[in-house]
Amino acid sequence: MKLIWLVAVVATVLTGLTASAAPAPSQWEQPSGALAEQIAGILGPGQARLTIRNLSTVPTDEVPAIRRLLEQDLKARGVLASGAESANTVRVTLSENLRERLWVAEVVEGNETRVAMVHVEPGTAQQSQPKSALALRKQVVITTNEAVLAALEIAGGLVTVQPEEIVIYGHAAEGWREQKRVGIGQKKPLARDPRAVIFLTPDSNGFEAFVADMACAGSLEHTSPPADWTVLCRESDDPWTIVQPPVTQTGSATQGTATQMDVSVTPMKAFYNSARNYFTGVVNFSLGADLPPFYSAAQIIRTASSAPLLIGGIDGKIQILEGSALKPVAGTRDWGSDFAAFHSECGAGMQIVVSGSGEAAGDSLRAYELPAQEAFPASASLAMDGTVTALWTAPDGSSVFAAVRGASDQYEVDRVTALCN
Amino acid sequence: MRWTVLRRFAISCFVVLLALPATARTRPHYGGTLRVEIEGEPWQRPSGLARRMVLDGLTVMHADGTLRPALAVDWKSENDNHRWQFRLRPGVHFHDGSPLTSTSVVASLNAVCGTTCPWTAIHAVGSSVVFTGDSPMPNLPELLAADEYLIALTVTSDGKTPEGVLGTGPFQVEGFMNGVLTLTANDSSWQGRPFADVVELHVHRSIRDQWLDLSVGRADLVEVPAEQLRQAQQQRLTVVASPPLTLLALSVTDSGALSNPNLRAAITLAVDRGALFNVIFQKQGEVTASLLPSSLTGYSFLFPTERDLNKAHVLRGGLTPPPLTLGTEGGPAMQLAAQRIALNLREAGFTVQVVTAAGGQHTDLLLRKLPLESNQPQSALESMLRGVGLATPVLEETSAGLFRIEREFLEAHTLIPLLYLPRGYAVGGRVRDLRLGPDGTPQLVAASLEDAP
Repeated sequence: MKLIWLVAVVATVLTGLTASAAPAPSQWEQPSGALAEQIAGILGPGQARLTIRNLSTVPTDEVPAIRRLLEQDLKARGVLASGAESANTVRVTLSENLRERLWVAEVVEGNETRVAMVHVEPGTAQQSQPKSALALRKQVVITTNEAVLAALEIAGGLVTVQPEEIVIYGHAAEGWREQKRVGIGQKKPLARDPRAVIFLTPDSNGFEAFVADMACAGSLEHTSPPADWTVLCRESDDPWTIVQPPVTQTGSATQGTATQMDVSVTPMKAFYNSARNYFTGVVNFSLGADLPPFYSAAQIIRTASSAPLLIGGIDGKIQILEGSALKPVAGTRDWGSDFAAFHSECGAGMQIVVSGSGEAAGDSLRAYELPAQEAFPASASLAMDGTVTALWTAPDGSSVFAAVRGASDQYEVDRVTALCN
Repeated sequence: MRWTVLRRFAISCFVVLLALPATARTRPHYGGTLRVEIEGEPWQRPSGLARRMVLDGLTVMHADGTLRPALAVDWKSENDNHRWQFRLRPGVHFHDGSPLTSTSVVASLNAVCGTTCPWTAIHAVGSSVVFTGDSPMPNLPELLAADEYLIALTVTSDGKTPEGVLGTGPFQVEGFMNGVLTLTANDSSWQGRPFADVVELHVHRSIRDQWLDLSVGRADLVEVPAEQLRQAQQQRLTVVASPPLTLLALSVTDSGALSNPNLRAAITLAVDRGALFNVIFQKQGEVTASLLPSSLTGYSFLFPTERDLNKAHVLRGGLTPPPLTLGTEGGPAMQLAAQRIALNLREAGFTVQVVTAAGGQHTDLLLRKLPLESNQPQSALESMLRGVGLATPVLEETSAGLFRIEREFLEAHTLIPLLYLPRGYAVGGRVRDLRLGPDGTPQLVAASLEDAP
């Protein structure tokens, strides 16, 4: 019985390996048939010498399979692939351009050469993720052609802050469906590299958003069903919320409440330089030390009595404010200027997710732990499909959201969570 | 997997990023002066560096090959592409403060457009610009992204001609003095303020002087001609290079002695592209006999690039044409290439004299560079054909159709594609996030300086 199980397991594994390594025959059937159709249309029934060369990224070991398919398809249309003695030649080239594959047949009859071409859809690629003690996982929340500066899941919906609009989405069978779009109404052009923040209100029934020189407040009105969002924007030079206590989506009291580590988190606001892309360093209460201008800040909860503030300065230095002293953090050489803290069930319980760079295509995220003044990688890098333009902590503090600009300027918002291995 | 890698690589060739790992990489800094040196003119068409910093088009081509709104927010075609309506972006102003209007756009396009315009007439209709054509214009939105159709103010609000170039772009002209064109950031740019406060364009600097200035920190960005890319890398300069985007081609007149198509075909077969590629251009770019690069079409291998001197002799048929003149545009490498081609042609029985093509002087043969104006094959081909004076819309969409158009055009042997060449630049350590646009020009608007205040 055990032997049968063993054989079954081995067979399953081998089948799986074979399936993953072998070419997917169906991928080539359609273009092969289409090209054979065109070749037969040019040549008519008869014999032809068939040659195939590969100038594309089609793996070399798949070419014989393509040849077999093509021979079968030609034969079905009355064209027999023969040896070198044939007067006619069909030279097939597997080519490609930046967008797609292109199969080209040069049909040579005497001195005349005619050309047939078919387009082939590019294949898809699978990327493997290296294993690590803590693995970051991303889940796409929304994809859009419009720039997303910040987003918030709220009341079963999604609110995105765009450079000039706030867009509210509701759940639908096919995913998010736009429900409302409100112009923010800026008077001045936005800076390049615009930023925004959005937070739940303490009752978790509304949101507060900040974008350059503007503040917007949204609330869900239940007075007349169906509930409707009211969004009001005004000019504002108020400081932006940068640290907020975790808020539950059920609307429980949160201000000053404890995290899982029973440490109170103090809401913190900082003044933003709306003509640029950073916070000035001025915050809404005294920290005992002057902060430098910074791009990002996060509160790191270590123990019941220790929750220092981590600062990513515009000079690229990462510093931590403990007590009233700013201290440099080691191990941050590869950090970008965006980071956000979240708590998990893994490792020390609190990690910092850090972008790999400020403006790089093919960005990545990585989790770090900061037990003292040195940051240690806690996960492998998680490749993102573009440039990470913003990172922020989810309202409940258990995950991080990332806004990512893709190569074709398509934006997506990803939820990033930790899996303990 | 390999396909994805190739695609990402290809895209990343347009988006070359410079990492400076001394400290953590940060968001781009605002401020500072970016010093750029060039050999030519900042306003030269196409691809003069100042043009896209100061001027915007109605549309813009993204590096990924997609067309994006620019001064026009949307557009629609009617009457089987004989009529196009482009709606202008509201709230945009020229650098002198005057608003962008449909009238100003029409005036700008009328000022630059000659006989090879894709349209027959252009009108201002409210906040829209309407193009009409006797022929269908299926590629008009893509064509309008080209350098020549960038919008400049032609008449100021008081009815005068502007003294300098006034556009709507992210930089505005501050002045030109002692060979330096100074551009300053436009805080009101609809695209967002650029990161650098000032860009200084030092013009007419020899490549040697440019590299010297870069090495001593007097310049942040200098040019690297294709034939010197290898040398620049050997000198450990930080080089960014585009994919092959500039077509080096030989124009052949179809009048006089060369009205005989067999002689033109003989010239085509006599040119040794391999020597140009290996010797003159130091194996940069790619050898081609097609108008569009392989990366755009995938079919360029169908045009043979091999030299066939025997066949060239046969085609010449014992005729000894009168001495031909071969002109060239550009610098030393172009001169060397012209000399090499003249040598090739002499081996095929032609007598060729190399001359400098100055002031539009007519020559029988002209070695020239043609830019790839689009990264969409259909509009790229139409733009390329317009560039050589063939004002015919390209209506074909399929690869087979585009191949047929190319083949029919090239069979006349009035233009002989030789090489596709990259554009290259060397950058100093202060510059970060420098990207090359789809035409290979550096997008200084998105670049920032590491040591900006």
